[in-house]
This record gives sequence, C-alpha cells and structure tokens, in this order.
Amino acid sequence: MRPGPWICAFYLAAVAVFIFLPIVVLVEFSFQDGLIPVPPFKGFSLRWYAALFADRKLLDGLWNSLLVAVLSSLVATALGLLAAYGLARRRPRFAGAIQYFLMAPITVSYLIVGMGLLIGFNALGFGKSLLAVGIGHVVINLPLAFAIVYSQLGEHQANIERAAHDLGASDLQALLLVTVPMLWPALLAAFFISATLSWDEFVIAFLLTRFDVTLPVVIWNMLRSGLSPKLNAVGTLVFGVSIMLVFAVEFLLSRARRKNG
Amino acid sequence: MRARRGDGAAVRPLDLRRWALWPALAFTAVFFVMPLAGMLALSFTRPDPAVGATLENYRSFFEQAGGVYLKALWNSLAVTFWTTLVSIAVAYPVAYILAYRVPPRWQRLLLVLIVIPFWTSYLIRSYSWLLVLSEKGVISNALLALGVVNEPIGLGNSRGATILGFVHFFTMLLTLTIYANLVQIRESYRRAAADLGASAPRVFLYITLPLSLPGVAVGAFLTFVLAIGDYITPQILGGSKEMLLPQAIMLQVGRLADFPMASALSMVLMLVVTAAFLVFARWLRMERV
Amino acid sequence: MSRSAIQASGLSRRHFLGATVATTAMLAVGRPGPSFAAGRELNALMWCDHTDAKLLEPFEKRFDVKINVKEYQETGAALAILEQSQPGDWDVFVVDSVDVMRVVARGLLMHLPDAGMPWRDIFPDLRQPKLHYKDGKLYAVPEKFGYNAFAFNNKKVDPGDMRRADVMWNPKYKGRIAVYDYYIPTMEMVALGIGIKPREMSTAHLPAIREKLLEIKKLASVIGDVPTVQNALVTGAADIIIAGGEFVTAGLVAEDPNLDWTLPKEGGIRWQQAIGVFAASKRKNLATEFVKYVVGPEGQAALATASCYWAMPANSKAALDEGVKKRLRWDEQPAFIANSYPYFIPDPTLDKEMLAVWQEFLQA
Repeated sequence: MRPGPWICAFYLAAVAVFIFLPIVVLVEFSFQDGLIPVPPFKGFSLRWYAALFADRKLLDGLWNSLLVAVLSSLVATALGLLAAYGLARRRPRFAGAIQYFLMAPITVSYLIVGMGLLIGFNALGFGKSLLAVGIGHVVINLPLAFAIVYSQLGEHQANIERAAHDLGASDLQALLLVTVPMLWPALLAAFFISATLSWDEFVIAFLLTRFDVTLPVVIWNMLRSGLSPKLNAVGTLVFGVSIMLVFAVEFLLSRARRKNG
Repeated sequence: MRARRGDGAAVRPLDLRRWALWPALAFTAVFFVMPLAGMLALSFTRPDPAVGATLENYRSFFEQAGGVYLKALWNSLAVTFWTTLVSIAVAYPVAYILAYRVPPRWQRLLLVLIVIPFWTSYLIRSYSWLLVLSEKGVISNALLALGVVNEPIGLGNSRGATILGFVHFFTMLLTLTIYANLVQIRESYRRAAADLGASAPRVFLYITLPLSLPGVAVGAFLTFVLAIGDYITPQILGGSKEMLLPQAIMLQVGRLADFPMASALSMVLMLVVTAAFLVFARWLRMERV
Repeated sequence: MSRSAIQASGLSRRHFLGATVATTAMLAVGRPGPSFAAGRELNALMWCDHTDAKLLEPFEKRFDVKINVKEYQETGAALAILEQSQPGDWDVFVVDSVDVMRVVARGLLMHLPDAGMPWRDIFPDLRQPKLHYKDGKLYAVPEKFGYNAFAFNNKKVDPGDMRRADVMWNPKYKGRIAVYDYYIPTMEMVALGIGIKPREMSTAHLPAIREKLLEIKKLASVIGDVPTVQNALVTGAADIIIAGGEFVTAGLVAEDPNLDWTLPKEGGIRWQQAIGVFAASKRKNLATEFVKYVVGPEGQAALATASCYWAMPANSKAALDEGVKKRLRWDEQPAFIANSYPYFIPDPTLDKEMLAVWQEFLQA
C-alpha cells in the first residue's frame, strides 16, 4: 500500500494551509484600512506601509539585525570550521569531551545565555551594544556551525588533503584551497542557518542592547503599544524580501547547474 | 622549501591542525562557560548581601507555596512533550513525501516553500496566530459560516494555542532535518530490499524508518531544547493561564530583580536539558560522512 | 539546497563568496544615513507613552537635541537596567510615583529646582509630598495618573454591574474576564472588593484575597500585560478587564466606541507616574528643561494622548481639547480622585508573600 499520489498531494496541501495561514492573515491585514488588524477587513489601504518607511526606528532595527546576523554568522562559521578541522584531522585524546564542550551551548536556552552575558559584561564594565549581541549570537550558533561542518569532514577529503600536502602545500593552503571548496555546501548551510537564527533572535538582543536595537526588539516595543497593522506591514515586507532572496538564489543555482550540464 | 624527515613525512612550518581547535574552545570558555559559572555561583546567594552562601533558592524550588515552581517544570515538560510528538507526526510524512514521492526537480522548491515562513518574525507570527485563533479571527468565522458553532469561539490564550504555535514552527524545522536525512539514505538499500521481495511497507519499516531515526532524533532534540527554553510563544499564546519555567524565570527578573532565584531556576532548566541531551546522545554522536 | 546541485555549480561558489564579501564590506561601511545626532543627546529611561514624535519633536527642535528613549514596563526591570549601566549613561527617568523614594535611596536621582514646576496647577491629591520630596528637596514631578479599576465593553456587559466591585467574581461573566498581570494593583483592587483598603493591607488579609483570586481564576479567560488584555477586549476574548482603566481603552474609542472604563462605588486604585533627572547625568540643565516641558500644558496634552496609552495629565491646565476631555471623563475626575486610593507598595515581607499568592493564582 503505497500512499497514492492524491493522498500525498492532499496531505501536502493541508500542511501548507496550516503553515501559511498566519502568514496569509498577516499579509491581508497589513492592508487594513483601520486601526486594528482584526477581521472584518475594512478596506484596502497602503497607509501602514507609508508609516513603516517613515519609521526611523524600524529601518535602523532592520539594518542592525542584518549587520549582526551577517557578521556573527561569519565568525561562527569560521570558528566552527577551524574547530571541526582541528578535531577531525588531529584526533586529540579527549575528542569526545571536546565535542560535548563545543556543543554545550545548544543545551542552554537563549534566555540563560543572555542573562549570563549580561551579568558578566556588566561586571567587566563592558556596556550593552550590538557587539555584545553579536558575541551572544556567536555563542549560540558556533555549536551548530561546528556540528554541520564536522559531519561533512570525512575520510575522502582527508585523502585529497594528504595528496595536496605531498604536492607541497602547507596546512593552511590545503585547508583553504582544497578542504573549504569541498566543504562548500556545509559552510553555506552553517552560515545560512546561523544568519537565520541570529536575524530573528529576541531574548539575547533584548537583554544586551540599549539604544541600537535589532529588529525583533523594535517589534517587541511596538507590540507593547498594542496591535497595529504597521506590524503586519513589517512582517509582510520582511517575508517578501526573503522570498525574493530565496528565489534569486534558486534562479542562480539552476542557471549554474544548467551551464555545467 | 620544505625539509623532509628520514621517514619521508614533511615537517610543516605551520601546524594548523594543532591550534585550529583553540579559537573555538577559547571563545566558548570565555563567553559561555564563565558566565554560566557566575550564574551557578549566584544561585547560591540571595539579593541581600548580608546573607551568605545558601541553598534557599533551591529549597524554594521544591517548597514554594502551591508548588508553583514544580508545576512550572511539569507544565514545561508536558507542553514540550506534546509539541515534539505532534511536530514529528506532522513533519515526517511531509519529509517522506518530498523525498520519495515528489519528482527531484521540484523537491528543493517545495522544501523551500514549506520553510519560507521561517523568515517572518517569530514575534509577529505568534501574534498573528493569536489573532487567527481569536473570537474575531479567521478560524472562528469559518466555523461560524460552516455552522459548526453558533457563536464566535476563541481558541487562543490556552495551552493548546501554545502547542499549536510551537508545532507551527517546529514542523518546518523537523521537515528540514528529516528530509536531509532521508535523501542521504542510499537508494540502493531500498531497492535491494525490494528486489529481495520486501513489500513497500516492509521497506519502510525495516530500512527507511530505522535509517531515518538519526534525523528524527536530532530534530526531536532541537525541538525539545528550543521549546522548553522559549519564553515568547507561551507568553503570547498561553494567556498566562499557567506558568511555564521560562515565565517563572522572567517573573523573578521582573519587579523583584531576584537574579539569584532566576539563576537557580535557570540551573534547573539546564539540568533538564542536559538530561535530554544524555538521552539523545546516542544519535547526536556526530558521525562523519 | 541539495549538495549535488551546489557541488556541480562551480560558478555559484564564486558568486557566493563574492556576494558575501561585498555585502559584509557594504554593511560595515555604509548605513542608510546617520541615525545619531551630530550634536546633543538626552538618554531617557521611560514608559512607552513617551515615545511619540508629537511629544518629543517640539522639544527636540526648540533645544536642538535628540532624545533617545529606552522603554521599560516594570520598576524592577528599570532598576535592573540601571544596575547594569554605567553612571552617566542616563539623563531622564520616568517612574511610578510610589517607587521614587526607592530610587532616591539608591542615590540615583538629582534634586530638582522647585522654580518652573507648575505645582499650583497639579491636582492637589496628586502632589503627595511624601512621595516626591525628601528632606525638603524635590526629586520627581507627577506627570500623569490613572486608575486600576474596570475597563469593559459596554455592548457586552451590563454597565450597572460595573459599578459594583463584586463583578470581579460574578459567575455571570465566566470566561469573559481578563486580569491585568501587575499583581500589586490587581490584588489591591481585589482587596477593595472585600472591603480592605490598600493602606490597611497586611499578611493577615492574604488568605481571604487568595480565595477570591482563585475564584476569579475560574472565571478568567486571559491574564496578561496591557497589550494582552487590551487585545483581549478588542478581539472579544474578554469583556471586562480587572485592574484595567482609561489606559487600556481611551486610545481605542475611535476604533470601537463601545470600549469604556469606570470605577465601582467601592472605589478604585489610583496610579501615577513622575519624571525626574538622574544624579549622574552629564546634561543636567537640558534634562531639567525637558522635565519642565513635559509637565507644562503643551507636553501634558501630548502625553495624555500618547499612542501607547492614554491617561489623565497631572497638570489640570493641560491643553486638552473637548473630545479628549470627554474620553478621559475629565469632569468626573475630582469625584474619581476622591473615591480612589493611591496605590500602595508593600514592604519587602508583604511583597514577597503577595508574589507567592500571585504565583499560586497563575498556576491554579
């Protein structure tokens, strides 16, 4: 009894409806001609998008989020790559313990990571800032980056590395010119996942920023003032941009694939 | 140029492999371990500096009136359990259909489509669910129109709403992890089993399912850890009808600024998650390709 | 993205590397316009009703300064923020009047000059010298006040019921009650309902209050902060808010004219907020000017109708227009003030006991 094609299609459609329901409602009520993004839909209006673009705080928050996401993900991926490489190629005696150590932050909720850093930074006189948030995000993303890269560092890459060494390459050259290109999908995945998690992360950003805040904190402050279709507009815009990005990537990839036959 | 030792092995001027581990280790030690150690120490104190080291916070955890902290832990475990179970139940078929029943050309596209809502803000998505579930929301209106109910019905502000909000998020996450695992299973195994006479259900039960368990386990672990530590979803969708552990922690940090108690509760949370880690450790042991 | 696709596309690897480097360079170097003032700035730790442009802009233009606002909800959170900050980080503070002395005890507030503050215009009952003065020195000026009593949808409830405190546990409204989650005014409101005035409250009264709370829990549909209970009223999840008031509904009346608020005959709890300057501020004079502006007629009018929440300005000469006065029941204010009790902060022991009872309420 293989599940027939209709059942499969129906199930996928049902799940899709579930997944997209809050999104569709979100987008619809971003055009609400009224103060409250709740049915009944009062009419089509772009005033909330206009309000959005006039909102300096929102735009700044967007920018800050991008900055922190990209930079912290780069650092997390780089550190994760180095750690995975070091662990895989040179099996130190306590490899298992080291693995647990590096993965440990995953078992701690963001709230706790944030509180720990808050208390620690203040004790050192190190103020709240986007940098502090960036550090917090590297803490939570490093284990993921490490795990993703490590799972892809296998023997066949080691063989090619050894070949490169025999041909005279230094460790660094072998790493950058041989291993990294082979690991490209894993590095991309690590970067992508880290950026995604950092971009939308709230608790650590909330605890560790003062005035330069990230988008989730701006949204949280806006939510404190009650519901408004302006928030729907933000959500819709972010969503729209993401879709465009994803499709752009897809397009580039499929074009490149076709080129390579 | 490079010197060579007698046995032909090269002496490398820069032994990357020796120090590659250190940046990550140092970073984790400084920005993760030390703050946590600080919190652990803090959990044995009270805000009043006159009181020295004490177990009072931990005693409160067990003995607080109404057992509120114990209940918070129990509620968190229950909500997280159901979230994980339902999310896997919903996500596995999706991943399976995508991996095996959808033409390869479309797999990636559909996967991406399913996962796209990841990129709307988590906060806004949660509020959107609250509105969808409200008396004036889409679901209530639909039920009214269909005649299933006679008056507007509100489904938000409840444990069910919290679980729904979680499942919405984790279905996407689990679809990704399970799919990633399924596509790595060598097609040859499944074909071999079929060639040997196994029916489709048997192929699934004896080959596909066992080989996909690591992906399920990793996903389940992530779901457990992320859900049990989350403050936002229960706060927005739960209506504070009950307290979960993260909410109890935030309550301590609120008006009374009782960081020692908050630290103690955080340690309890960490303990629970570490226990989960040990349970899942078998599948989390990282295997290299 | 499948591995094979990416591995096969050598072209895309270089594309991504190039794109990432370019993006990072762009991010690090360029930002869309300067978002920091080249000149003076005031850093303010305040409640969310101080973020509107209509309040800040006139002052910013007049004095050529940029005001940075950090919002917070509860005094404990503000104290935590201040503890984690360096002296000089903050200039202006808005805080619950009842917490002013707590902050003064930590040496955080600056002594304000009496001159220039509109004392004669501030409602007499709000002046509360014991809360704002220490050793004859002024530390904070009352700027806004309101009530924790009942907010409701007068289409869905019997308005007559709302004038009686026992509506809080009236089974008629099962599943229609929202409870504001700030435990102090809520518990004091419940206490009023069983005849205990806030000032008299003691640990001996807690068991009776606890019992009523548990009764209320059975009837409650949602417990939450201001936005949460406000949403509940708006979306129909609840019809009554316990410890709600004008701050929940007055701003939304244009959208839904059925939203209303009142005090029951037993009275309500009155809250008020005050504004002051930090002792370690590096811009004391500018900050003091800002305080004067906010408690002056112009600032008071903007503050009263803040988008975050509406409430009554402390200055009786605030420049309010007729529509606003109606929504704020401006003419009833003297009667309301007389029938309300300023909210009362318990001492640490009672506070701890109250919080314990509250947590039981939440978990029931």
